[in-house]
Amino acid sequence: MKDVFSTLHPVVTFTYFTAVLLFSMCFMHPVCLTVSLLCSFLYSVLLRGKKAIRFNLLYLLPLLLFMAVINPAFNHAGVTILFYLKNGNPVTLESILYGIAAAGMFGAVVLWFSCYNAVMTSDKFIYLFGRLIPALSLILSMALRFVPRYKAQIQVISIAQQGIGRDVSNGNILERARNGLQILSMMTTWALENAIETADSMKSRGYGLPGRTSFSIFRFDRRDKAVFGAMLLLMAAILTGAAAGFNTMRFFPSLKLLPPNAFSLGVYCAYLALGSLPVIIDTAEELKWKRIKSEL
Amino acid sequence: MEAYQIRALSFAYPLREKLALKNINLIVKQGEFVTICGKSGSGKSTLLRHLKTVLTPHGTKEGEIYFYGRPLAESGRRAQAARIGFVLQSPDNQIVTDKVWHELAFGLESLGFDNKTIRLRVAEMASFFGIQTWFGKDVAELSGGQKQLLNLASIMAMQASILVLDEPTSQLDPIAAEDFLGTVKKINRELGTTIIMTEHRLEGVLPMSDRVVVMDEGEIIVHDTPRRAGEQLKEMNHDIFLAMPSPMQIYAGVDSTLPCPVTVQEGRQWLDDLPIDNKALREAPGAQCRREPALRTEAGVPPVIQLQEVWFKYARDLPDAVKDLSLEVERGQLYCIVGGNGTGKTTALSIVGGILKPYRGRVRISGRDLRKMSGQERAANQPALLPQNPQLLFVKKTVELDLYEMLAGKQLSKEEKEQKVGDVCALAELEGLLQMHPYDLSGGEQQRAALAKVLLLEPQILLLDEPTKGLDGHFKSKLAGLLKKLAALDVTVLMVSHDIEFCARYADVCALFFDGGIITQNTPRAFFSGNSFYTTAANRMARHIFPAAVTIEDVIEACRNNL
Repeated sequence: MKDVFSTLHPVVTFTYFTAVLLFSMCFMHPVCLTVSLLCSFLYSVLLRGKKAIRFNLLYLLPLLLFMAVINPAFNHAGVTILFYLKNGNPVTLESILYGIAAAGMFGAVVLWFSCYNAVMTSDKFIYLFGRLIPALSLILSMALRFVPRYKAQIQVISIAQQGIGRDVSNGNILERARNGLQILSMMTTWALENAIETADSMKSRGYGLPGRTSFSIFRFDRRDKAVFGAMLLLMAAILTGAAAGFNTMRFFPSLKLLPPNAFSLGVYCAYLALGSLPVIIDTAEELKWKRIKSEL
Repeated sequence: MEAYQIRALSFAYPLREKLALKNINLIVKQGEFVTICGKSGSGKSTLLRHLKTVLTPHGTKEGEIYFYGRPLAESGRRAQAARIGFVLQSPDNQIVTDKVWHELAFGLESLGFDNKTIRLRVAEMASFFGIQTWFGKDVAELSGGQKQLLNLASIMAMQASILVLDEPTSQLDPIAAEDFLGTVKKINRELGTTIIMTEHRLEGVLPMSDRVVVMDEGEIIVHDTPRRAGEQLKEMNHDIFLAMPSPMQIYAGVDSTLPCPVTVQEGRQWLDDLPIDNKALREAPGAQCRREPALRTEAGVPPVIQLQEVWFKYARDLPDAVKDLSLEVERGQLYCIVGGNGTGKTTALSIVGGILKPYRGRVRISGRDLRKMSGQERAANQPALLPQNPQLLFVKKTVELDLYEMLAGKQLSKEEKEQKVGDVCALAELEGLLQMHPYDLSGGEQQRAALAKVLLLEPQILLLDEPTKGLDGHFKSKLAGLLKKLAALDVTVLMVSHDIEFCARYADVCALFFDGGIITQNTPRAFFSGNSFYTTAANRMARHIFPAAVTIEDVIEACRNNL
């Protein structure tokens, strides 16, 4: 299924990811962590399908388990001692729970970043920062063109050199290093030589004239406004909860959680709503599509 | 209305005695399509660059250039940026940004248009060029032909009234080149844009040009309609004719009072009008070659290159790039593989070169299986491959150092090395170029320098990938001479090419590559006279009268014999 959330205006998506990433890093309350982990997992699966499930279960899960286990082995703070290790160090309940929480936080951040990468493509990033510094957007755009181009050219050069028996895979280490360096030096010459024509092409198209503008294909429409507004409201609610201390917990020296009340429940619901916002938008769109189709 | 008026323009590059442009007088009218041709180094590009102030090279200049009646320098940078569009040679180097839409907008951003105007202009141009389907793509995903179209579109989006193109198709394959030229003609015809272009692939361009300017040594020697230019050049008996379309070359070789044909169609008409007695038609030269016997030269000797039912793909999930390819090349042959783009020709060449490993089938070099050779044996027997872009082989500051670099790892005395480099320079005619930077050489010279470099490996087998790409007629005939010299030294040459004309003229064997394999192979004459479409322009023009005449010389000779 095609992701609808990523078609929103870059300002909206960027603000969203900044918020959820910051919240996931700061809020160590078990409910917040669970919500964040769950939402990020769901969205990553929605974005990347089977591949995400495989990655999450095969690589991320073992890593998190390892992190959770390793923490109490080295961290001996906390007052509730469960038992002693062979070297005489205590294993505490607090350090075990902190390990689990830290692993959960780490997992959520990784998952959100994977979603961020899928949604915030280079052109959106350029657009955002081009707004702040117009010259930067062109530089970024040019850099993004040159990096893959240079990589491809290195490939082409090394194949061409292989064709005359000179390559990094031929000969002993010394020869290989020399051939590798030579390819690098050729790349430099090539890049400088070709940059002349690029510069001509830029000059010829008026680059350097005063009053340059920055074109973009994005438009902040009514849907963007609605989503952005909802997002800001939810974030405000969550931040009030954070100010009241509901979003985090104390691990050391002893565990301490504020008792839940109606207000804190509301804050957690807002957090859940924010976290699952992309999933909600996608599902709503899917349902709408189905309804329209069935009406035809 | 005169778009350009050039009066007595002369120009010399700094520190050079010789004038790059000598007393150029030229008027280009609004809406005209002017083609400038000439050998490389005749001053074509220098002249074009004078048509836009920001691109004009430094040096001493005399004379005046008027742009719509006013001196060019008086119209400001902004006006020139918008009104004079410039397309350069390399499709890749001209692209600045990473997205197609951004590239289309680049010029308009420079001119300071607002978002709404840019959106409209970009949309217009994308629709006009039919490129709206790749609007959101990364430029890296485009093919060379698409990139050059994008360059053209992004200039036209600025609403240029004059389009200057400097050999825009030299890096493209024939189909993409034709596409591109078609679009240029469309712009000229439908938008009334003035076109000034240099080009070495004249077969396609001359028929669509209003006027031809022929330059030699920085001077304009002919300036007329294509037809009359052909007639004038015939009288001058100038060697620029090597670059002209086949019908014009044939016209130049035959005595007649008929007007000069420009296209193949006109050429056929012209041949029909020649007083050839069809009944008494003597056999054209090479007609007997259809009955030419086997291709094998020596019985019992294994072929130098032998491929048996070779299959190759780049990744497990990708389709086969080479399918069931079988091929035999004899010692000392010049074997040419022709065929369309993306049929796997270059892949096949890399397989022979041992760079790619087939997943099925055998590759034998001099009768020995490539897989079973030891590392040393392989290094000794490995064919040398000259890539499409000769620049990929240059590693040093001067041509001379580059040549010595090839011998660096070898146990040779200084005299031996000098001897070898000297020999190879004489062979490739590099004298006088040795102290230059390889990148400062012209296309044809780079090709020869790269070839010299490869030849220092003393390969028994030479693999060439599109060696005639971007070369003008003059350099092509030089390359052919070099290949003949190598054949005399018993070097086997396998080349892939789009250049049918070149293959028909110089190859020993031609093979048609299609869908990953060789469909047919034969001696050039039998090969091309047997094809109906995929054959030389000369053959297409004359096949209804001289079916076996394949090259221009064949047709000229046949005409002379039968007049």
